[in-house]
Amino acid sequence: MILGKTILTAYLGARHAVPLPNGGTMIKIDVWLYGPLARYGNSSDNIFANPQVEIPEGSVLRDLLARLALPTAERGISFINGNLSAMPGVQPDLDHVLNDGDRVALFHLKSMWPFQYRHDVAAIGEFKTSLARRGDGGLRSRYD
Amino acid sequence: MWILRMNMTNRSYQLEKAPERYKLLGGRGLTSAIISDEVDPQCHPLGPNNKLVFAPGIVTGTISPTSARISVGGKSPLTGGIKEANAGTGMAPALAKMRLKAVIIEGMPKEADKYWLAALTWAGDKPKVEFQPADEYTGQDLYEVYAKVFDRFGKKVEVAGIGTAGEFGYGDSGIAFNDMKKKPTRYAGRGGLGAVMGSKRLKFLVVDSTGAPGVVIANEELLKTGAKKMREALMEHAITKPQGGLNSYGTAILVNILNEAGGFPTRNFRSGRFEGAAKISGEAIFETNKKRMGKEIYNHGCSPGCIIQCSNTLYAKDRSEIASCVEYESGWAFGAQCGIADLDAIGEMVKLCNAYGLDTIEAGVTVGVAMDSGVLPFGDKKGAIKLLKEMGKGTPMGRILGGGAEMAAKLYGNPRSPTVKGQAMPAYEPRAVKGIGVTYATTTMGADHTAGYTIAPEILSVGGTSDPLAAEKSKADLSRGFQSTTAMIDSSGHCLFIAFAILDIPKGFEGLLDELNGMLGTKMTAADAVAMGADILRRERKFNEAAGFTKADDRLPEFMKYEKLPPHNVTNDLPDEVFDAVFGEM
Repeated sequence: MILGKTILTAYLGARHAVPLPNGGTMIKIDVWLYGPLARYGNSSDNIFANPQVEIPEGSVLRDLLARLALPTAERGISFINGNLSAMPGVQPDLDHVLNDGDRVALFHLKSMWPFQYRHDVAAIGEFKTSLARRGDGGLRSRYD
Repeated sequence: MWILRMNMTNRSYQLEKAPERYKLLGGRGLTSAIISDEVDPQCHPLGPNNKLVFAPGIVTGTISPTSARISVGGKSPLTGGIKEANAGTGMAPALAKMRLKAVIIEGMPKEADKYWLAALTWAGDKPKVEFQPADEYTGQDLYEVYAKVFDRFGKKVEVAGIGTAGEFGYGDSGIAFNDMKKKPTRYAGRGGLGAVMGSKRLKFLVVDSTGAPGVVIANEELLKTGAKKMREALMEHAITKPQGGLNSYGTAILVNILNEAGGFPTRNFRSGRFEGAAKISGEAIFETNKKRMGKEIYNHGCSPGCIIQCSNTLYAKDRSEIASCVEYESGWAFGAQCGIADLDAIGEMVKLCNAYGLDTIEAGVTVGVAMDSGVLPFGDKKGAIKLLKEMGKGTPMGRILGGGAEMAAKLYGNPRSPTVKGQAMPAYEPRAVKGIGVTYATTTMGADHTAGYTIAPEILSVGGTSDPLAAEKSKADLSRGFQSTTAMIDSSGHCLFIAFAILDIPKGFEGLLDELNGMLGTKMTAADAVAMGADILRRERKFNEAAGFTKADDRLPEFMKYEKLPPHNVTNDLPDEVFDAVFGEM
């Protein structure tokens, strides 16, 4: 963990994927944390934080959350590159592989998004599949 | 139950027993039925043959929670079609308690330069109206004028009125109702109904329901059971409960969400993402207030009996009130649509709209169109405020912009008019949120974000069950289902935000049915309730067809077909058949 942090610090500010000494590569994620989640991005204003987070190539969303020390139960509506990836009660995105330069946005549990205003929006494949498996086809305001 | 008919030609009125055919109607269902029955679809909206109808909802005035909505209907000067706009306000239960199903304003005075107010009171056994001159209230800031009206009639009255926007006959004028603090902040905003009221030279409707007997309920026990279920569902749902999503952050909670989704129309619909979004979001409003007021400020109710209480107030650094309510769509219209990321400037513009009687959505989109047409640069907040003031004062430029977004685009030769049926699109980009595009294009109201809310899936017949949202035909089916159930909720007297609770919690929807059946003495099933909504749409559609609308009017603006919207770089690629299927199969 300490080693990991040192490596992260060493590569902070890098603009592109950077090779690691062990042969791996670091990627940078453009993270947007809204409302009370801003504290996981070292902001105390409760409005938003926009940290640029470096994680090893091949990392999935679960790894990014671990890096942010953000418990997944505290997030609701989530996006990866503007594609809906999770809602309260549905988190099929934990194993979604992240790429260098991805924009990941995480919302607090008081956020809402009426179905009509998200019907047919862009979503990651895992999210679409997850909703399609539901008997209601996803026609809910929340899933928890 | 009565219908109250006021004739502005000679300032007379009559009370009519409500006809049997209107027995099961309220709110939007009733305003649209009366307009269809009594108004020539080809009449000029601002001529003597148009009518303005006020109608509380079916359960308004009962103990049913979050049910103080009033519908206002007429032929719209903005769209040229039928219009219903509704607001949450104390006037809704006041009319219901006087046993008035509807108030119809008709005719037009010969003297064009005199304005009137109608004072409606309860006279022992029936309602009574007195017409009084109202010239002293014209041409002024509505905040100041409302204070004078409440000084004159007392705090117990409820007031509907128009500002200078309605006096000037603007397509972007609304009808103002008072909030709980008696300020003119609750609007039946869309479609220029303020201008219809102005054309009849009615400045105010002032209602004092003191002494009124209250509503007649067919089965009080059933209504109580229903109201209890509805209350429990609203109290339980994370979005609608006290200190839940809407009570904490208001509708502006959607700013960051739509922005991340790439569906937040920016700089007159040139992008789906605004770099300044987080600064004008619901979270920013909440935290700004907290900092300025030294404590957390939760939102307040727009009207009596609301559990959700989603109306925010934006406070200034000196702790004075800038504006209430900075709704998502209002903040968007003066924010992202105009490229302005300054909360205080946005608050000031919302306040100016309330002061002049303007629809914030139409006014903000119009300013954005002016920016897109080179009248002033995007992001010019001082220039935007100046244009709003010109609208309020009625300068030549102000009167051009008062005509609304489509008019402004036409006058400046700009093909980028973000409108359907002449009405400006609200804060959801239909290229990114394709579902709402179908509703924008096909609703009888012109582009309207409240025309197709959601409803419990089990009462919709959405075709196949394996993947009901995928097929293109199902987009039309869903939009029709949403629009039908929305028309039903708009008739019930409930706020549309009960949709969260009735969609996700079965007892919420049961409660709604129990309430309706208890009130009306009916045995409506869920399918019957949706059919009621579909009937309303059919009637509205028929009016619009007679007014000259064809399926060519059920389309999104052409530029959305050939301009790609960042960040997803999407166009409107839905085939016309999808739009045609919405009403083609009703």
